[in-house]
Amino acid sequence: MTRQGGRPDPARRQEADPVGTTHGAERASAVRPFMVTEGRVAAEAGLPVETQVVATVEGLGQLGALAFERRAIVEVCGTPLSLAEVAVKLRLHLNVVRVLAGDLRASRLLAVHVPRSGTSSDIDVLRRVIDGLRAIPTSVGSRDAD
Amino acid sequence: MGSAPSPLPSAHETPTDLAPAVRPPLPVKMVVAGGFGVGKTTAVAAVSEIEPLTTEASITEVAAGIDDVSLTPNKTTTTVAMDFGCLTLDPTLKLYLFGTPGQDRFGFMWDDVTEGALGALVVVDSRRLDDCFPAVDYFERKGMPFAVAVNTFDGDLTHPLDAVREALDVADEVPVLCFDARDQGSVRDSLVIVLEHALARAVAAA
Repeated sequence: MTRQGGRPDPARRQEADPVGTTHGAERASAVRPFMVTEGRVAAEAGLPVETQVVATVEGLGQLGALAFERRAIVEVCGTPLSLAEVAVKLRLHLNVVRVLAGDLRASRLLAVHVPRSGTSSDIDVLRRVIDGLRAIPTSVGSRDAD
Repeated sequence: MGSAPSPLPSAHETPTDLAPAVRPPLPVKMVVAGGFGVGKTTAVAAVSEIEPLTTEASITEVAAGIDDVSLTPNKTTTTVAMDFGCLTLDPTLKLYLFGTPGQDRFGFMWDDVTEGALGALVVVDSRRLDDCFPAVDYFERKGMPFAVAVNTFDGDLTHPLDAVREALDVADEVPVLCFDARDQGSVRDSLVIVLEHALARAVAAA
């Protein structure tokens, strides 16, 4: 068996990993997100899923003037979160969060920290992550030798 | 805007002139890929400081979607579940781990998740080796550093690692290892191997 000789049958692949079997995320309606974002989609935003968003002082001060999803996003971002975490906490589509985060940033209520491009091959960053992982105390029974 | 100077070098491309209530950490991410049921979520759970979360994302555009896909055979939107976890390595550095959906037909989704990742761990069940082919192909094409990790379910390695390497036909420098997806230390060590491989490449390219 080799990779070149044994490419999987596409029909079989379709059976794999049906949506929603992993954990209990409920399916969000696609109609509601469309309304929330006033029909806009996030294709142009392109914010990475790990982008950090955090409420600005101004945003926290204007919570009362916001409604629904926008308010919820600012509220939940009192501490920094990734877009993916915001989507989970508020049960919103990731792309809806992208669009609304863009809006909130434009109105200065949310600070959006896009990871610097090139981080993935940054030697210092890689070393810091390696050191950070090695420093994790592992539970009893797992190998922790170095 | 005379905002207070940061004690740290700016970790972000867009240092905002807004005043965030709290300065966020530098987010970095790694991808855990592989076929269905090979232990991706288990591996994420083993090292994540939170229970792995599942979010939904569309592989096309929200606006194009209709909820009941059975009524729309020509659908242009598919909602996929994406598991992720995270690890706060220090107050300024947070590692996210994203599990890719199992199917390679979700090419768009993979790009969405993998763009900017430090590297990938391709989890393999040696009894169903071909399930990981799409992932291996994908990361090779993408030029992203990855390692192949054979999940030793119950300490059982069906094929020796040399045979796995031969079957996968990966480049010599790609690490092929075995690990236990349930074991925190084992998953941690596997991620370190991916990163050391990524570091070696980055140093060579510098």
